[in-house]
Amino acid sequence: MVRFELKKIISKPVSRIALLVQAAVLCIVCSIAIGNVRYVDENGDTIRGIAAARALREAKMQWSGYMTEELLAGVVEENARISRSDEYLSKDARENEKAYSKKQGFSDIRDLINRAFCGFREYDYYRIDSLTAAEMGSFYERRIDGLTEWLYSDEAVHHFSEAEKRYLIGRYQKLETPLYYEYFGGWEAALQDAPMIIMLTLLIAGFLVYGIFSDEMQLKADSVFFSAKLGRSKAVAAKIRAGFWLITAVYWITLLCYSAVVLTALGFEGAGCAIQLGSSNWKSFYSLSYLQDYLLTVLGGYLGSLFILTLSMLVSAGTHSGILAVTVPFILLFIPEFLRGISALSGILGLLPDQLLQMCTAVQLFNTYQLGSWVVGAAPVILAAYFLLTGMLFPALYRIYRKTEVK
Amino acid sequence: MNLVLDNLTKEFGNFTAVDHLNLSMTNGVYGLLGVNGAGKTTLMRMLCTLLKPTGGKIYCDGRDIREIDQTYRGLLGYLPQDFGFYPEFTVRDYLLYISAIKGIRPAVAQKRTGELIERVGLAKAADKKMKKLSGGMKRRAGIAQAILNNPKILILDEPTAGLDPNERIRFRNLISELSEKRLVLLSTHIVPDVEYIANQILLMKDGAIVSQGTLSEILRSMPEKVWNCVVPQEAAHKLAQSCKVSNRKLIGRDAELRIISAEKPCETAVCAEPALEDVFLSYFGERGGSEHGEI
Repeated sequence: MVRFELKKIISKPVSRIALLVQAAVLCIVCSIAIGNVRYVDENGDTIRGIAAARALREAKMQWSGYMTEELLAGVVEENARISRSDEYLSKDARENEKAYSKKQGFSDIRDLINRAFCGFREYDYYRIDSLTAAEMGSFYERRIDGLTEWLYSDEAVHHFSEAEKRYLIGRYQKLETPLYYEYFGGWEAALQDAPMIIMLTLLIAGFLVYGIFSDEMQLKADSVFFSAKLGRSKAVAAKIRAGFWLITAVYWITLLCYSAVVLTALGFEGAGCAIQLGSSNWKSFYSLSYLQDYLLTVLGGYLGSLFILTLSMLVSAGTHSGILAVTVPFILLFIPEFLRGISALSGILGLLPDQLLQMCTAVQLFNTYQLGSWVVGAAPVILAAYFLLTGMLFPALYRIYRKTEVK
Repeated sequence: MNLVLDNLTKEFGNFTAVDHLNLSMTNGVYGLLGVNGAGKTTLMRMLCTLLKPTGGKIYCDGRDIREIDQTYRGLLGYLPQDFGFYPEFTVRDYLLYISAIKGIRPAVAQKRTGELIERVGLAKAADKKMKKLSGGMKRRAGIAQAILNNPKILILDEPTAGLDPNERIRFRNLISELSEKRLVLLSTHIVPDVEYIANQILLMKDGAIVSQGTLSEILRSMPEKVWNCVVPQEAAHKLAQSCKVSNRKLIGRDAELRIISAEKPCETAVCAEPALEDVFLSYFGERGGSEHGEI
């Protein structure tokens, strides 16, 4: 039965178009992720893509190792040495690019130093230029001090309870230091565009599953379907299973292809590095490696897609309208974006299913939830909540559809 | 096989589609006749568990069909009036899918599908997509799906609507063949279909069965008489305003009329043998001067 249900879906022209669009989206997002990698060679010329990633990897690997005071001091000194060079001080842009070329190997570490020694909510690209090697001893303390200072500032003091503040500071203190550094460009690039491919896959998959239930009515095949012996039992379950397998197959094939292409092109190194090495993750209170962050992102994306698309199927089964069903993913994806600017709603918005589709962004945010004295970050809360909700949607879908009357 | 409808009622808001209907049916062909909106399709949908009755119950061999649910549907074959299908499926795939949801084991389904494709004359079109079939071929695929599970109760809603005369005759013969050892309920407003194959005729009006019996019983029970007469066209026009006219044929300046009336409609009128079409008109027809016009 599941085979026939899948055949019903795949044989529809709209499904075939959706699958072609999905293949095109996969190619485009992969090429964007790879094409965004940029490297400036010793002549000041910019190269992009796989060749750039290779050169960048080679340059960055020279700085691999534990980010101790010595390594950080070395970066400060090397940066100062290049900044004093004729190329750097020249007014010729090409000469400046040649100087920049020499800084690319430690650009990640340089970025972290800038972040550590700026205010918690500030960033100054040139902050490293005014630092000395001797100051690097306080690198990791600066991160914790910066958070503590911010939590008790006017901006955040009322936003978090004392328990939440203690929790966040505790999480910062628990981060194992010194961090180990090596090239992690492949994971960073894959994570950067993962939310995009996950969201596009969700929207496209919406066009595959919207009709699983409502098509019976649209095609007027419902009378034969529901009057058949298993039409209100196993045949309904087969539809649900077909929807589940279709979502699962489309999602995982796409994400595995995306991951394989991007990581093969840009490198698998750095899987074990802490996510705090990435400039945008420096403030994250989650102790995760890049591999863990990536797994969290793709698993969260799968759970989010499964929840939203099952909800779409529920709308299809309940309203018998494919059009309403296909709008569900769009509504759940775009409405939170419009409301994002309202800070009073940040607690609620942090729990909406669109967060699951961008877990790598969610782990960068200071969304915490408190139950009594127990404080937890948003990531495990939404994972657990939507796991349960998705589990509840399937029996609801079964019950609603099997009770359909043909009027 | 015995189906009993006990005080069966279906209301849609203020409208009563089936009104406290009591009926008992056993094996044989039952022809359900009635005008559009009489409640035939609603009744059939309740019999197929597609609609929940507002009141009353349906019993199959003494058991409430809503309680035995799946077991009852296992006895059922249904060809709906608006027979929908999956346009991208081939005939064979369609029948195999319906076999699956009817709970027929795959090996049996393969065999049965092959047999039925031959039987309904779709052998050459077996691997054609359903959307490419002609109207008659689609109906044949429809009857094939209805009998896939060798049903004990076969419900056919307007099975010959929209078919050309050849297809209709072919279809009628097929239904006749299938009627052995099962209960066939055939709904239609095409009177000859019922006349030829039904053992029992049920006349349905406003959600109720107004007359029931064999063809000869129904003809005998007709509350009016049938009259033939030839009159000038002007007089024919006047008669059509006051009587139910079942046929009018122009002969030069005169018209030959077949009139349904309790009284002799004119001096020249001669009493004639009634046909089922006359009975249909007697129960469901409107006079020419009425709101709905002449039938």
